[in-house]
Amino acid sequence: MSLFSWHKSALPTFSRGGVHPEEHKGLTENLPIETFIPTTVSIPVSQSLGAPAEPLVAKAAMVKRGDVIATVPGGGLSLHAPISGIVKSVQTGPHPTLVHDTTITILAKSAEGDPEFAEQPGWQTLAIPQMLDRIKEAGVVGLGGAAFPTYRKLMLPKDAKVDTLVINGSECEPYLTCDYRVMLEESERVVLGSWVIAKIIGVKNCVIGIESNKQPAAEQMRKTIAALGMEAMDPAVKMSVVVTETKYPQGSEKQLVQSLTGRLVPKGGLPLHVGVVVQNVATAVACLDAVRNRKPVIERVLTVSGAGIKNPKNLRVPIGTSVEDIILHCGGYNGDVVKILFGGPMMGRTIADLDVSVTKGTSGLLFLTEAETNLNSYQPCISCGECLDACPMGLEPNRVSQYIEVNRPLETEQFGVKECFECGCCSYSCPSHRPLVQFMQVAKAAYRRQERKAK
Amino acid sequence: MSDESDKPANPLHLHLSSGPHIFSGRSTAQIMWMVNLSLLPALLWAWAVFGWAVLAITLSSILGCVIAEYAVCRIAKTASTIADGSAVCSGLLLAYTLPPGMPIWMPFIGGMLALIFTKGIFGGLGYNIFNVALVGRAMMMATFPVEMTTRWLTPALGKADAVSAATFLGQIKLGGQEALTKMLAALPDGGQLWFEFFLGMRAGSIGEVSVLMILLGAAFLLWKGIIKLYIPLSILVGVALMAPFSPAPAIYMLSGGLWLGAFFMATDYVTSPTQPRGQIIFGLGIGLLTGIIRNWGGYPEGICYAIMLMNILTPALNDWFRPKRLTAGGAPS
Repeated sequence: MSLFSWHKSALPTFSRGGVHPEEHKGLTENLPIETFIPTTVSIPVSQSLGAPAEPLVAKAAMVKRGDVIATVPGGGLSLHAPISGIVKSVQTGPHPTLVHDTTITILAKSAEGDPEFAEQPGWQTLAIPQMLDRIKEAGVVGLGGAAFPTYRKLMLPKDAKVDTLVINGSECEPYLTCDYRVMLEESERVVLGSWVIAKIIGVKNCVIGIESNKQPAAEQMRKTIAALGMEAMDPAVKMSVVVTETKYPQGSEKQLVQSLTGRLVPKGGLPLHVGVVVQNVATAVACLDAVRNRKPVIERVLTVSGAGIKNPKNLRVPIGTSVEDIILHCGGYNGDVVKILFGGPMMGRTIADLDVSVTKGTSGLLFLTEAETNLNSYQPCISCGECLDACPMGLEPNRVSQYIEVNRPLETEQFGVKECFECGCCSYSCPSHRPLVQFMQVAKAAYRRQERKAK
Repeated sequence: MSDESDKPANPLHLHLSSGPHIFSGRSTAQIMWMVNLSLLPALLWAWAVFGWAVLAITLSSILGCVIAEYAVCRIAKTASTIADGSAVCSGLLLAYTLPPGMPIWMPFIGGMLALIFTKGIFGGLGYNIFNVALVGRAMMMATFPVEMTTRWLTPALGKADAVSAATFLGQIKLGGQEALTKMLAALPDGGQLWFEFFLGMRAGSIGEVSVLMILLGAAFLLWKGIIKLYIPLSILVGVALMAPFSPAPAIYMLSGGLWLGAFFMATDYVTSPTQPRGQIIFGLGIGLLTGIIRNWGGYPEGICYAIMLMNILTPALNDWFRPKRLTAGGAPS
């Protein structure tokens, strides 16, 4: 630790805060992606931000892999059958973030006659609106975890001046290695997918950002860009790979935009406002699949890891695969599991029910033992200032927490509550183990309630 | 049933919480015990030059603090916090501000008063406004004025018993230039007064006399990232600005509780500002106030009251000097 902050990394990185948690990526980083198809899948209809889809199928209906099984009336993202089979039920089931949701359960039947999703001729020369239509039809959402509908992010407002596409291969969350494996094993799809997105938003500059702890992925991406002859194929788009410092939350949009372009996203704004669009590597692959193969998002790659699972893996599973099936496939528990997480250990959410199933936004499934986490209760703030140093946004989690403790949530905007994206650096560094992110959430919820009342 | 038995059981104690789920591994108790550890060199030195009594005084002060903390927790019906090391830390620091010839029952009373009135009634760790040890010292100054100002000992490495002495700052306050000349004359031939002071061969409070030992402990805390240099350095700068008013500026800088206060009292997390700019103002304020009290005030030493005065400003400094936001305000373009 430096006495003053005169230490500067040689690699590009964001300007303030951040933490260096233990990586734990060794558990899975060298394991090739393995495909696992369970006999039942349960698909909650809410898979992305925005209005939930409505089921189009009823109990006992036969569905084929890729069939639309739910859609948002009036236009929105459709949901597709991840496997061929018979609809077992359409009823309320558990959801990893919403707790409960309408869930379509499909029992697998013979995979015979499954669509192949072959390459569509002429995909490279499609007009941009048609490409966007295909991405929308395929139900593509941000696969990095945010699950924002991708077509909406790519449909730029008329006055937007965007010049750079950032492809996010940071994967800064500890334990997670699925994006890393995708970059190593499916580098062609990542590169072509990035090109598709660059084409749609009409930018000349496409930067793939990868943290320095994933050098092999960076080399693989560089090699692939050269091998595919991207420059000759489309001289209008310049693709490059930039290795950034390994520092959490490098993969956060605002931080990555600053690391790669030096531009600061304004308060309450989007990368769009400084001419940048950010897409995750897995999303780029999904965009390519949608445009080139008309293949909907019916499966995803996720990392199953943590000391609490016998055989950690990088798995490709159909959307709707249950936690229970994954535990069985990975050899069961290993020791005493105290937390099961959807996502990474910094921003992931705990679940309480093994019937919860993988959604489009699930990048990891972690089984943590007591030694990996901390279940102790928290203590008073000692004003050490660690959270202030760690916060990448320059907010004041300590002050927010003190206001929440005395039940004054509506006086916390001055400390930056509304700019908090809940990366968790504050709580991670707090020696009193204060649930600072949760205090932030409490404050935000109070502001939301106030706004609702005002309406 | 056979089908069911293959199913993984839902662990009985699955915890639900918001993120993050991993932590840096540092805890408040760990920090406090590291601070306690870093204070030991100074105590060892005091034991070597003043004798066994300093250990008894220190133990008495620690016991006073720990027993009071335990009692406060019992009365407040909260879990006991004595294991977190902060009461021990207050006890150690209070003892360090006391003359080595003090009757050993006094620090016990001082420790209890400090803990109860500075920390206990404000709500325990994290809620105190003033540095616990310094309030303890101030209360003892008011309660036992004679013992607090006269029980000085002359340090003597390896000698069986120490003889009573007067402190440099005390001498200067009373006798000015004349007293200084006398002190210099008492030095053995070729002796370097500043070096004697730096090493700790001087009369003074238990934990303050050896600047070297204090710096050893401080170096450990800096290395561990527990303290930063903003506060101690600005205090030293502030006092240095006032040093030219003294007949012997170098000795002035190495005297009194300056180094102990700068590195171990003023850096107390709870009662000092969190941001570098606030910390610099805080430190400069302490330094200047220390000099003002020393030069023109009624007491020979001023660091204790200077820190307490600046403790009052801490909440304001935290309001005035805030972290810089990553994104400037204003609506997106």
